Amino acid sequence: MGTQEQTFQILSQELLLVVAEELKLPFMQIARLAEQAELSGQKLNTALIESTADSALKLIDNYILGVRLSLSPERLGLENVSVSSVLYDTREELYSYAKNYGVDLDLNIAGKYGPVSANKKGLEAALVSLGAALIEALPAIGTCQLRLKLATHRSRYGIVAGVYADTKQVSLSALQAGRKLSISSRQPLVNLSHSSGAGIFVADSILKAMNLNLTVSRHDKWYGIATILPLSQQLQLIT
Amino acid sequence: MTKLLLIEPDRMLASIYFDALSAAGCEVIYAAGAQLAILVADQIQPDLIVLELQLIEHSGIEFLYELRSYADWQKVPVIINSVVPPREFNNSYKLLKKELGVVDYLYKPSSTLKTLVAAVNKVSLSKV
Repeated sequence: MGTQEQTFQILSQELLLVVAEELKLPFMQIARLAEQAELSGQKLNTALIESTADSALKLIDNYILGVRLSLSPERLGLENVSVSSVLYDTREELYSYAKNYGVDLDLNIAGKYGPVSANKKGLEAALVSLGAALIEALPAIGTCQLRLKLATHRSRYGIVAGVYADTKQVSLSALQAGRKLSISSRQPLVNLSHSSGAGIFVADSILKAMNLNLTVSRHDKWYGIATILPLSQQLQLIT
Repeated sequence: MTKLLLIEPDRMLASIYFDALSAAGCEVIYAAGAQLAILVADQIQPDLIVLELQLIEHSGIEFLYELRSYADWQKVPVIINSVVPPREFNNSYKLLKKELGVVDYLYKPSSTLKTLVAAVNKVSLSKV
């Protein structure tokens, strides 16, 4: 077995550990919702169960995508991607999950930044994973408002796309420490998530496979986690 | 009526526990984190606390130490209802029970609403 393959195996096992830990939550929610309906004699809230299960399935799918992309980067087809449309689709994907948690999900895609060269499916999967993790965490953070923003802006390094809240919960060093702690701690991002924070690490793995990074970011007066997509000079000339 | 402080970071589970414990006859007050829980405890003077250990920023253990540092709250019984399995405490499990006043420890993934309500009722009855 080659060194690269061994590294990927270890990485995917670490990630599997945080995903497995995270998946306890939706299973507990579904089991307790079913029990609640049985005990109270009330109708089972099937919409809530459906949305909870869907979100768990998305996490599994995104985990698989992250591992597959890491193992076979050749799967990674690059295309012209509009960051605004990716954020729009991400909001659609997260809408019902945000509703379950009473979180308002805003979209801030003002500004024309032109396309970037990326893998649309991968980018969207990373943002959905990240968004779901922050939706779940926000009500427990003690922020003034339960509101998240999916937003994009231009920085000197490229086009930034991320998820933002009105409270600063994580620094770059805490994010880096969380990556190292993910194998040994059941709560590696203690200021950001009460669970294993799997959605954040899954997003991290997908972006890494795409040669992108997950980093902390600011958007207006909002704080968040984002990725920076380098502008393609050639695409800029074409469009 | 037992005044119960529920400390649970997950909003969906909190709502389910809130309904089940209210239906069991408790007056339930909910806090998502340790800091808010201390403020709430100060206002409502709970008879019983149900606590998750994995919270954002301050852990449930930090909350317990803070709680027990006040004379008024040294005898308030605490039931832990957590995703952290009790086996992870090994030798410090006795400390949880004796020093920090934990009267029961429920491992959340395998404990039902019935189990939680039964644990709460047991403590409530023993206080009568």
